[in-house]
Amino acid sequence: MPNEATQTAGSSANDAPNRLSSVDEEVIDRSQILKFEFNGKTFSAHPGDTVGSALAAAGVKVLSRSFKYHRPRGMLCCAGQCPNCLVQIGDEPNVRACRRPVEEGLSVKSQNVWPSLETDALAMTRFASAFMPVGFYYKTFIRPKALWPYYEAFIRRAAGLGEVDKSAAPGKYDKAYLHADVVVIGGGPAGINAAVSAAEQGARVLLFDENTDTGGHLRFSPESRERVEELRKSLETQPGVKVYTDTTVVGSYLDKWIAAVRGNRLFKIRTQSVVVATGAIETPLMFDNNDLPGIMLGSAVQRLLKLYGVAPGKRALIVTGNDDGWEVARDLHRAGVAIAAVVDERDETVSPACDEIRKANIPVHFRHTIAEAVGSGEVAGATIVALDALGEVKAGTGKSLKCDLLVVSMGWTPDTGLVHMLGGSSSYDEHLAESLPEKLPEGVYTAGRIEGALEQDEEVDRAKAAGARAAAFSGHGTAPEESIESHDCRIRSSDRVVVPGEQKQFLCYCEDVTGEDLQTAIIEGYDSVELLKRYSTISMGPCQGKMCSRNALHLCARVTERSVNETGRTTTRPPVAPVPLGVLAGQNMEPVQVSPVHQWHVDQKARMMVAGLWLRPEHYGDPVAEVAAVRERVGLMDVSTLGKLQLTGSGVPDLLERVYINQWRNLRVGRVRYGVMCTDEGVVMDDGVCARAGEASWYMTTTSSGATSVYQWLQWWAQSGWGDGVHIKNVTENHAAFNLAGPRSREVLQQLTDRDLSDAKFPYMRMRSVRISGVLCRVLRIGFTGELSYEIHCPSGYAQYIWEALMAAGEAFGIKPFGVEAQRVLRLEKGHIIVGQDTDAMTDPVSADMAWAVKLEKADFLGKPSLVRMAKSASRQRLVGFTTADPDRVPDEGLQIVEIDDHGKQISVGWVTSCRFSPTLGHTIGLCWLPTDVANVEGSRFQIREEGEFREASVHHGPFYDPQGERVRM
Amino acid sequence: MLILNCPNCGKRSVGEFRFGGEYNPRPKAPETVEDEAWSEYLYMRKNASGFQKEWWFHNSGCGVWFLAERDTKTQEVFKTCLWNSEPVGEPDIAK
Repeated sequence: MPNEATQTAGSSANDAPNRLSSVDEEVIDRSQILKFEFNGKTFSAHPGDTVGSALAAAGVKVLSRSFKYHRPRGMLCCAGQCPNCLVQIGDEPNVRACRRPVEEGLSVKSQNVWPSLETDALAMTRFASAFMPVGFYYKTFIRPKALWPYYEAFIRRAAGLGEVDKSAAPGKYDKAYLHADVVVIGGGPAGINAAVSAAEQGARVLLFDENTDTGGHLRFSPESRERVEELRKSLETQPGVKVYTDTTVVGSYLDKWIAAVRGNRLFKIRTQSVVVATGAIETPLMFDNNDLPGIMLGSAVQRLLKLYGVAPGKRALIVTGNDDGWEVARDLHRAGVAIAAVVDERDETVSPACDEIRKANIPVHFRHTIAEAVGSGEVAGATIVALDALGEVKAGTGKSLKCDLLVVSMGWTPDTGLVHMLGGSSSYDEHLAESLPEKLPEGVYTAGRIEGALEQDEEVDRAKAAGARAAAFSGHGTAPEESIESHDCRIRSSDRVVVPGEQKQFLCYCEDVTGEDLQTAIIEGYDSVELLKRYSTISMGPCQGKMCSRNALHLCARVTERSVNETGRTTTRPPVAPVPLGVLAGQNMEPVQVSPVHQWHVDQKARMMVAGLWLRPEHYGDPVAEVAAVRERVGLMDVSTLGKLQLTGSGVPDLLERVYINQWRNLRVGRVRYGVMCTDEGVVMDDGVCARAGEASWYMTTTSSGATSVYQWLQWWAQSGWGDGVHIKNVTENHAAFNLAGPRSREVLQQLTDRDLSDAKFPYMRMRSVRISGVLCRVLRIGFTGELSYEIHCPSGYAQYIWEALMAAGEAFGIKPFGVEAQRVLRLEKGHIIVGQDTDAMTDPVSADMAWAVKLEKADFLGKPSLVRMAKSASRQRLVGFTTADPDRVPDEGLQIVEIDDHGKQISVGWVTSCRFSPTLGHTIGLCWLPTDVANVEGSRFQIREEGEFREASVHHGPFYDPQGERVRM
Repeated sequence: MLILNCPNCGKRSVGEFRFGGEYNPRPKAPETVEDEAWSEYLYMRKNASGFQKEWWFHNSGCGVWFLAERDTKTQEVFKTCLWNSEPVGEPDIAK
C-alpha cells in the first residue's frame, strides 16, 4: 500500500486526473499533499490550491445546486465573482470554493441540496418552473391565507443558502484604522505602476489586492512571468508603499472613507486620493443551457491552467469573439487537452495563437457561434451555428460537437462599482461594447483595464500618470501637465450577449433568472432598470450583478428599444464583495463606566447592574435589609454617577433662570435648591439640585443619565446668546459622590471632621465645604431618601479613601452600603419622582405634581410660553401615588390602568410607573398616571390590568412615609 | 464618513460630533408669539433636500457648538462657523 511520502511530486495522482505537470506560474507547492473532504469524500490538494482548484484537479464538475431550480452548477469564473462554487466549510456558510485556500482537514459541503448534491430532491422544482415565473412570489403563496404557515415552512426549507450553526463559538473579529495620502485599489500591473509612481512623489501609498499575491491578471497571462517579477520588485524597492494582499476593498463612503476586509479584520481607511485599478470582469454568454457544469469563462480556464496546473476537461470547445479566447485555446492545446473546435463569431483574427491552432489541424470556424449546450448534469456537447453578414444566426446551419469543457470568451465589463461609489460615472461605448468610467470627481483616478483595453506601453504611462496625479492631489509632487491622449482601445468584447433559442438561457445565475423571465418582466411593465432589478431580482444575489448586469442591460435596452446608456444602470452600493456580519460587528465590546469605588463593590459581592453607561451596584445581597438600615440607622450609597457641573461667572443666575422653571436669583450663598428643567415644549427634561457655592460660583447636579445631555444643553444656550459671563465645567467624572443617609448619619460624619454638623450650623438644604478625614469635600444636606442625609462630593482620587473612612466610622452604628434598588424603594416611600421613569417625553411639570416649582412670574424661561398655554386648561392626567387592595401584590411597572367604557370595551387610562413592596410600611406603594378626576380624589379606586386580570388599587396623596418631612430636618 | 471642519480643532471625522438639528432660532420675544407660530417653532422643520444650516457639537473633542452649512443631498459642507462669528444682524435669542 503506497504511503503518501512516496507519491511523486508533479505527477497526477490517481485522484487528480486533471492535474498537469508543473507549470512555471503555478502557486502550488507540489512537494506537499493536503487532504480535505467534499460531501464526505476525501480529496487531495497541494498547499496553494483553493478548494475549487483541487476539486477541478480531481475532475469534480458539479459543485452546487442553483437557488431556485436546483440545477447543478460548476465553476464558471474561478475568480470569486459568480455564485456557482458557493459551499459550506465547517460552520461557515457561503464560502467561494474557487478562492478559499485548502487547509488540512477541511470539511466542505454543498449547500442548498437535499438529500445530496447528486440527487437533490428539490431539483423537481425545474418541472414546476412554469409555476415559478419571474416575480412568482408576488403572485403565489397568498391565498388561502390560512395555508400561509404551511407555505412558510416549505419556503423556509427550500430557500436560503448555507446553514448557520447556532452553537458555534463566536469568532474573533477586529478592526484597524489606516491613513494614507493615496489608496490604490487593485494590485495588477496598472495598480503597481500607479502606486510606485505616487510613492516616488513622496506620497504615503496603500495598495490593496484581494489575491494572495500582486500581479493581477499577469499571474496567469501568457508569457508574463518576467514582467510580474519586475513589477513586484519595483514595489518592494519603492519606499512609501504598503501592500495589503488578501484584502478586498469593499466600499467607499463620504470623503474617501474606505472599507477593506482581510479575513476577520475590517480596515477603515481615510485617504486623500484614490486610484481605482480594479480591472475588468469577464461575463458569460446567454444560449440554451448555458448553465451546465463544464461551461467556463476563458479567464477561469487560464487561472486553472496557470495558477494551479489544472486542465478542467479532456475535450474542449472554445467559443470566442476576441483574441483572448484564442490564447486560451492555445494554452489548452499545449497542456494536452483535445480541442473539438475554436468557434469565433468574427470574420478573422491576427492572433498568432490562431496560427498555432491551425497548424495543429484543430477545426476552426469563423463567423460561427454557439446555439446550445447539451448534457445531463454536465456538458457533453454543443451545437454551433453559422452567422450571416449581419451577425444573425443562419437557420439550419447547426452542427453538433462533443466536448466536456465549453470555454466562453465573449465579453468583459470594467469593474466600476467603486468608481460609482466614489462619485464617478460610467458610460457605455458602443464601439467597444463596454461601459467605461466617464466622469471622475476630484481626487479619484482610474488606471489599467478598467479604462479599456489599451496597448501595454500606453497603459503603463497612463497608470503612472494617474499615480502622479493622485499624489499631487494629496499635496505631494506635481501633476503631469496634460492628460495622455488615449488611442483607440482594442476591442475585446462582443456586443452579442445572447444567442436566441428555445430552452432555458440563464441571465442571472444567482437567482435563476432566465432571459425569458427578464423579457416577461419588461412586458409586464417593469422596464426601468431599478424596478426591473427589484422585480426580477437580477443582480441581487451573491454576485451582485458582476455576471449579469452587462447582459441584463443589453437585453433590457434591446427589448425597450433604447441604447444601453439610455437604459441606465442600477446604483452600486457597498459592499462590492460579501462581508461576514461578524467583520462589520467587530469585537464584542460593551464598554461601561465605573465609579472610582467600583472594586470595593465587587469585593463585597454586590450585584451589579448596567444603568445607562454606568455599572452600578443594584444591591449587596439583601435590599430589604439595606432599606431598614437607612431608616433605622445609617447607610452609604455610591452616587458618583450623578452629573455634576460647575458654573462660574456673573451671568450664571441669568442662565439658570432661563433653563430652569424655578427661581434662582435669590438663592443665597451656601443654599441648595431643587430645580426642574423643561424643554420649550414645557416637557420635563431633567431635575436635580443646584447649590450656590459663592457669589459667582454654582454647583449643579443632574440625573446620572442626564449628565451629558444637560451639559450639552447648557453649553448650547450659553454659546448661542445666553452665555455672557458664564463658564461651565463638567466635573461629573472628576468628583465622586456618596450619600450618607439615616438618623445616625450626622454622628458618623462628625467623627471624621471638626466642622460643627449640628442642625443649627448645617441646616437642611445647605451646602458646606467640609474637611473629612483631612480632605476638603463639598457636602450637600439634601434628602432623596427621606432621612437625615449628607451627599458628600470629593475629588475622585480620594474616593476610595473617603468611602472607607465613612464605612469605618459607621461600623459602630451598624452602617450598611446600599444600592440602586434600596434607593428606589426609599425614595418611593417619600413619593419622589425619577425623571425618565415616572415621566416621559410628554410629561409637563404640572401634571407631574411639580406645579409648585413652576414660576410663571419669571420674565422668560425655556418652556414658559408652553406652560402658560397649558395653564389655561387643567391637565388631563396626573402623576399620583397609590396603594393596592392586596397589600402583598406588587404590580409590574408599566402595567396599564384600565377602565371599561359604555360598550364594555377596555380602554387604557393610565399606567404604573413605579411600584415596590415597602418593607418600612408593610404594603405595596407606587406611582402612576391617572385621569385627573380620578387622581384628584384621595382614596378613589381604579383597576390595574395584569395578564388579563384586574388588581384593585386606590389613590394616595403625598408621601407614604413621614408625610411632614420631619426626618430630613433632624 | 463625512469630514467636518471644527472651528477650534480643524478637520475631524463626523463620528466625533453630535448632530444638533436644523438651525431653528428661538423667537426673540416668545411671549408675543401667536399659538401657531409657537407650535411651528417647536415642531416644524424645513427638512430641506439641499442646503441646510445646522448645529453640530464636538463631543469627542473641544465641546464647542458650531453651525454648518451643508447640502443634505450631496453631503457637501460649504462652511462651518461659531454662532457668533458672523453677525447676522441682531442675535436671534433675546437677552
